[in-house]
Amino acid sequence: MDAAPALSVVSVAHDPDDLVPVRALLAEQGLGLDDDVELFVTAHRGDDLVGCMGLAGNVVKCSAISDDERGFGLSARLMQEVTYQALDRGRSHLFVYTKPTNRRVFESLGFTFLAEVPGTLVLLENTPFGLARTCRQLRRHDYVPATRVGVAVLNANPFTRGHEYLVRTAAQNVDVLHVWVVSEDASMFSADERFELVRAGCAAVPEGDRIRVRRGTDYTVSRATFPSYFLGDEAEIVRGAAGLDLQLFREHLGPAIGATDRFVGTEPLSPITNLYNQEMHHWLEESASASPTIRVHEIERVAVGDAPVSASRVRALFAAGRLDELDALVPPTTLAYLRARAHTGQTSPTPSVKK
Amino acid sequence: MRIVRAAVAGSLESSDALVKVAPNDELEVDIQSTVMGQYGDAITTVVNETLEKLGVTEGFVSVDDKGALDFAIRARVQGAVFRGSDEQPDWSRL
Amino acid sequence: MLFVPGSNASWLSTVHVYGADTVMFDLEDSVALREKDTARILVREALMSPIWKDVEVCVRVNAIDTPFFRPDLEAIVPAGVAIVRLPMVRDADMVRELDRVLTEIEEKCGREVGSTKCMAAVESASGVVNAVQIAKASSRMVAIALAAYDYMIDMHTVRGTAADESELFYARCAVLHAARVAGIPCYDVVYSDVNDEEGFLREIGIIKRLGFDGKSLVNPRQIEPLHNAYAPTEAEVDRAKRVIEAADKAEAEGLGVVSLDGKMVDAPIVASAYRTVRLAELSGTRR
Repeated sequence: MDAAPALSVVSVAHDPDDLVPVRALLAEQGLGLDDDVELFVTAHRGDDLVGCMGLAGNVVKCSAISDDERGFGLSARLMQEVTYQALDRGRSHLFVYTKPTNRRVFESLGFTFLAEVPGTLVLLENTPFGLARTCRQLRRHDYVPATRVGVAVLNANPFTRGHEYLVRTAAQNVDVLHVWVVSEDASMFSADERFELVRAGCAAVPEGDRIRVRRGTDYTVSRATFPSYFLGDEAEIVRGAAGLDLQLFREHLGPAIGATDRFVGTEPLSPITNLYNQEMHHWLEESASASPTIRVHEIERVAVGDAPVSASRVRALFAAGRLDELDALVPPTTLAYLRARAHTGQTSPTPSVKK
Repeated sequence: MRIVRAAVAGSLESSDALVKVAPNDELEVDIQSTVMGQYGDAITTVVNETLEKLGVTEGFVSVDDKGALDFAIRARVQGAVFRGSDEQPDWSRL
Repeated sequence: MLFVPGSNASWLSTVHVYGADTVMFDLEDSVALREKDTARILVREALMSPIWKDVEVCVRVNAIDTPFFRPDLEAIVPAGVAIVRLPMVRDADMVRELDRVLTEIEEKCGREVGSTKCMAAVESASGVVNAVQIAKASSRMVAIALAAYDYMIDMHTVRGTAADESELFYARCAVLHAARVAGIPCYDVVYSDVNDEEGFLREIGIIKRLGFDGKSLVNPRQIEPLHNAYAPTEAEVDRAKRVIEAADKAEAEGLGVVSLDGKMVDAPIVASAYRTVRLAELSGTRR
């Protein structure tokens, strides 16, 4: 019954000095420190840092335990403290992305396996009810019996004519189109704003009556929260994120609403997006699975003049106050909102209320 | 008792159990245990009896048992439910 | 009396095997603020568990001026706690308030009024000065204990390494006298450095000589050395048994005076002989 290492909480923003040993411990275990980690729970034996575990949003990441301290239940204590820290911040639903070799460790810490990209990483969540519950809710609230059921997942920051073209083209090819808006608070427009703009924009198109807009589930893996601290180059990171996201979609979320088709925009200038789209063909159409194949459709970008319509161009013009030039790039619903927001002088993101 | 928010009690240390609860419109219980093979039925009975005494009829309840004795499992289930509820514990019922 | 953190399920599940005379489940200092609620429940369930039914269990509740005090008692009294240890007792009113709340809860839950005993821990200058009134404040009082940490701060001093431990001398004597006046046992402070056996044994030597009945312990490892130090030698036990035999014989013969080996034996010596035999039953004889 020797004294166990003492735990404390390090705020990444407020205690930069305490991060030096954390960085060193992570490096010792061949890991990096991701930028989005808000806090670390640290374990010290005397003055020595012997363990750490980070929290970024609802993702547990950057955890390491020094070799001498393994096998004494330290990771369980770290996880418990991280769980409480997250609960204090109103987050009860946590995820972990880790190497496949760590899967058993996290399962023993109360996590449930969700998906794996072999040789690269696994995704787990801290409840046995999460994914099953989400699928049940999708089935209950969003399932529409139809022969062809399409899905488009949008970030829409904000909703442009490019998005409008994508959803219209998609809707013309299916009986019902589900549009899922990624729920993270991305840069300029909050999740609430983006969702409202997509809903308004979809309601206004002629195909609107067969489009169902909802917020993305917690199981939409995006690059924004995706960990990179234990992965290699950008291509591996993109393949890892895509592999998890698309398997969850193919195996669980898609079947819950009877999805047959998935629609995605092309990005001629972005190798990352193209890589993601390649992965989409692989995981949804080619890879072996007990779930039915989901056809992937890449919809070409609309262009205005020479340049493709992109949300980043819209944001740049909006930030510069050049609202007159937005007319060609965004549908009237988005334009009306942007004008109203510009009127209040607000060009920084509006915080949205977290669920 | 009604579970109105997500809550946690206990720990993953040896001889303890970590219990998590969350609101739901029906009762769903999941039990994981390091001694499931040997004591799975007994643990399930303890958890269900405790929930029944507490009057919990709706909610998610997950129990991650690390070889806890019955009294500790009972205590952790109660702890998580009290934390997830706005009602005061009524000891005379337990 | 062995301290067990009330939030630690593992200790609460295993410590009964170590053979402490009394085990104290702690809801106070060893329990983090965040775990006050769940530790209370864990201790309550442990009290009702069959593994603890043959051990005398005491629960240290939170101090009377904290919001945890009343809920602690509401949970543990119906569960049948034998003894409630009240920390930070400064005067007799605090013991009387504990007595009143215990009565209220006993009546409410249908336990016999007065069946829950209590002990007071004195941890301040005023507690030490008021020790006699504290020890006599309630018929529920079964022991008084000294605790050093806050008392040292109160006295503007620190625990030192001086062999005589003079910084605690007055408090030890005062609390011990109070215990003797009230006719209840008296327990000494904890020795928190579990790895310093030499220091622990030295401290046992001091308190045994002063007359303490025992000591609060923080680790099961400390039980054996304490028991051994308090255990009488075989010669002492033999002598005590002979005194008791002589006393029994005198009583059977209706004699008012006990004599052994031609010498008269006083009543206090007979009482002491009973204590020695009882101690040997509990702790064995000294190694």
